[in-house]
Amino acid sequence: MGREAVRQTSAEIHQIGNDAVTSEPPLLNVQGLSVRFDGAPKGVNVVDDVSFSVRKGKTLCIVGESGCGKSVTSLALMGLLPTPPARIVAGSATFDGRDLLTLTERERADLRGDRMAMIFQEPMTSLNPAFTIGDQIAEGIVRHRKVSKAEAMERALDMVKKVRIPAPEKRLRAYPHEMSGGMRQRVMIAMALANDPELLIADEPTTALDVTIQAQILTLIQRLQEETGTAMILITHDLGVVAEVADEVAVMYAGHVVESGPVEAIFEDPQHPYTIGLMGSVPSLGRRQGRLATIRGTVPPAELMPKGCRFTPRCPFSDARCANELPPLGEIRPGHLARCWYAPLEQKRGAVA
Amino acid sequence: MNATATTGDVILEGVDLKKHFGSGGLLSSPTVVRAVDGVSLDIRRGETFAIVGESGCGKSTLGRLLLRLIEPTAGDVLYEGRSILTLSKSELRKLRRELQIIFQDPYASLNPRMNVGDIIAEPIWLHNLASGSAKRDRVADLMRTVGLLPTHADRYPHEFSGGQRQRIGIARALAGDPKLIVGDEPVSALDVSIQAQIINLLEDLKDRFGLTLVIVAHDLAVIRHMSDRVAVMYLGEIMELSETDALFDNPLHPYTQALLAAIPIPSPSNRQPKVLLQGDVPSPAAPPSGCRFHTRCPHARPVCKEQHPALEAAPDGRRVACHFWREIQGAGAGSISAPPPSAALAKRLALYQTWRERQDKPVATSP
Repeated sequence: MGREAVRQTSAEIHQIGNDAVTSEPPLLNVQGLSVRFDGAPKGVNVVDDVSFSVRKGKTLCIVGESGCGKSVTSLALMGLLPTPPARIVAGSATFDGRDLLTLTERERADLRGDRMAMIFQEPMTSLNPAFTIGDQIAEGIVRHRKVSKAEAMERALDMVKKVRIPAPEKRLRAYPHEMSGGMRQRVMIAMALANDPELLIADEPTTALDVTIQAQILTLIQRLQEETGTAMILITHDLGVVAEVADEVAVMYAGHVVESGPVEAIFEDPQHPYTIGLMGSVPSLGRRQGRLATIRGTVPPAELMPKGCRFTPRCPFSDARCANELPPLGEIRPGHLARCWYAPLEQKRGAVA
Repeated sequence: MNATATTGDVILEGVDLKKHFGSGGLLSSPTVVRAVDGVSLDIRRGETFAIVGESGCGKSTLGRLLLRLIEPTAGDVLYEGRSILTLSKSELRKLRRELQIIFQDPYASLNPRMNVGDIIAEPIWLHNLASGSAKRDRVADLMRTVGLLPTHADRYPHEFSGGQRQRIGIARALAGDPKLIVGDEPVSALDVSIQAQIINLLEDLKDRFGLTLVIVAHDLAVIRHMSDRVAVMYLGEIMELSETDALFDNPLHPYTQALLAAIPIPSPSNRQPKVLLQGDVPSPAAPPSGCRFHTRCPHARPVCKEQHPALEAAPDGRRVACHFWREIQGAGAGSISAPPPSAALAKRLALYQTWRERQDKPVATSP
């Protein structure tokens, strides 16, 4: 389904990066989102000028390493950031014509768990150990729908069946600790999808799971997505997962989106040095091909963050300009954007001095 | 399933190792978890041997048994042909120098109240290898070896990032001039870019010091990249043991096939529907009868439920514990087809590597 999507979009108009022009407005359009933590050095936002969009029924993967701001971005969208210390200092997030960032707490609470839902990495910490699975799924339904407790339980049972938990009637009365990690994650998914949300945000939903269970959960999410037409933002650090599920990808580094575009473009024609370095760092599943490419050093602490491109100290291609001037997220090809002064590299950095 | 004939090049050998953890129930009947249940393997000098499996398969327990960090319920461990289970305290301490371990979470394994210099110096002091300025020199040397700045010796673990902490753990493991290092998920807590640095470091150190590495891990891509031979574990037993490339090109055991099929392939234009393994891993406290994999195996037949398959010999020195591996072999499931990188990616990776090398030695190459 990913490939279809891309063929369609590239054939469409040469403007999918700029969603204002596409035939259908995106479900979620984030523009220039910046989040600041109190006490951070001046000018160093934990999330800085982040823009992306998600279309109906499609999957956007936000990929990046720890501390890149991918989770903060998603929490900001859900209205779950603790203020203080976090403050949204700029940007907009238009969800179905409304700016999520300007809603009142009440309006947000009405959206959350209804039209937008979220699943987290560690299902055990997100489930209440003192209530049964059925009660916890039904709670969200009763909160947002005018239904009786019995009807909600009925719906909960449907959802438990839908996420393919064996012996659903029995499981409805089970407590979280009686289930395995994979089953708990299925419960989280059932809970998130109970009110047919239009947007699901999944923050590392399979990271804590074994590889065979991860494959089950990813397949389940995809199948449910096809059935319900829910759009998804999937946050992950695993490039393999991205390649399997994404339609669009945004690569984040130290609070910036450094590259974004259709999944094929990102994997087959990566432009930003960080994306390239990341791909070189992942061992291949094929026969061994020499040493791994590496990215030098680590993400600098906030007080040492360069003024310009934040990848400068680790980038093999960087120079003084990179350190001082932040490159724009420029269009390489329609819909494929990279935040680098020297992309495409073989043209601007091809001749090895 | 006898242990391979001990040739000169076997450095460490596990013989029918068992480790059962029992929780003595006061009111209920005690449950016994068979974490490792009859594992025999030999580790050859100078190789990288990987133990792979999902959580609860007993891979970490096996790693610890091989170093006698925990005592086996039954079986034996031979180091250089000698049982390490009968060693006296002082002999065991000497052995600790030669057999070392690196843990998954470097933060939990470093004493937060000791500075890094002292952490690395501790084994040197413990084994009386050097003292005074010789010891300090050695610590500085080790820190340089693993890519840390010797001037940071007076800092504390919390001042370092995850990757640097893992480097500290590695430096400490190297301090006693070990012959063999067990890495228990040494890179799985690290970010991808840091993971690559540590993998390269471990490989460099292995070459430089002639080490034998035993890597306990769940990430199959890391294992394929690093190891020479692999043992695949499931519920306390070895399901398959093979040379790495042979295992990935032609997995014999249905569990190995399922594991490989579950890996996400980093190539969006080659998406294929996956043949999925159903259900969860059964509890090791009550493993299934017969073949432990039969409850999830797509090829299971009645005999699998009743008879426990032995780890039998297969061609090319491989071993596999399945009644029907010969028939299953051709079933098509299994070998992963990781497509080569696209031309554009290959070109840019090469360009990246060229500039990356210049980055490491800017003085030597800049005009």
